Amino acid sequence: MIPDHLTIQGMPLATVYTGMKDRNVADSTAKLSAAHVTIAGSGGLGTNIALALTRIGVGHLTLIDFDVVELSNLNRQQFKFSQVGMPKVVAMKQNLQEINPFVTVEAIQERVTRDNVYDLFHSADIIAEAFDNPAAKALLLDTASAVLPETPLVMGTGMAGVHSSNTIKTANPRPNLYIAGDGVSKGTEGLMAPRVMITAGHEANIITQLILGINDL
Amino acid sequence: MVTVNGQQEVNVAGKSVAQFLSDRQAPIENIVVEVNGNIVHHSEFDTTILKTTDKVELISFVGGGR
Repeated sequence: MIPDHLTIQGMPLATVYTGMKDRNVADSTAKLSAAHVTIAGSGGLGTNIALALTRIGVGHLTLIDFDVVELSNLNRQQFKFSQVGMPKVVAMKQNLQEINPFVTVEAIQERVTRDNVYDLFHSADIIAEAFDNPAAKALLLDTASAVLPETPLVMGTGMAGVHSSNTIKTANPRPNLYIAGDGVSKGTEGLMAPRVMITAGHEANIITQLILGINDL
Repeated sequence: MVTVNGQQEVNVAGKSVAQFLSDRQAPIENIVVEVNGNIVHHSEFDTTILKTTDKVELISFVGGGR
């Protein structure tokens, strides 16, 4: 446990830790804090998934993205105006640690290829796919199902436009595979925070269920 | 007949997965193909021949935005 003499911003560390868990569901803290989720992509999906998992206290997050923050990201991605130009994973690590200093965040600025999937993802309990590019999504499923078949993979597809919230669902098309989204709306029609956050919420919720051993799709 | 996403389809049996996807003008790079519950990896598209009893599921992805 956390020693009593350690403090953060003048408060005992243990008080802060316990206080931050106070509204979490019963008996979730130990499982959440032991879990490691690796998030592929730090865009609209990835930053919102990371934010949700950080707030509930998922203990170990790995963020992977090769890109830098652009102005066009700010309508839906959890970056600040002041972070434009920074590597996305570096900026997001900073934001997550400001929100919850008890979460360990590893930032990897790299592009996912067929050749590095095992190295990048084998330490994860759960993989969250959060790419923009549909070919990258298919590549990750195709490769991870071969090299890491036992690791649950949670994906997103179809969250564009301003269509109904209720067309966004989570499917479980095969063992260890969950896909959230409406399945059809394409980014070319525009992407905005509300529907992207709904889909990210779907991904984050199934990840939470998987960590807690709840099977309630 | 080969079953594709739950529908029985004619003129599919005997084709490779690559030919089947090409005939449908499907965007191959955005699709993951499952045959009888097993994922057929992209490297196996040319050599995997579909049989009449096969059940094919196409898992396709759409893009987000940068």
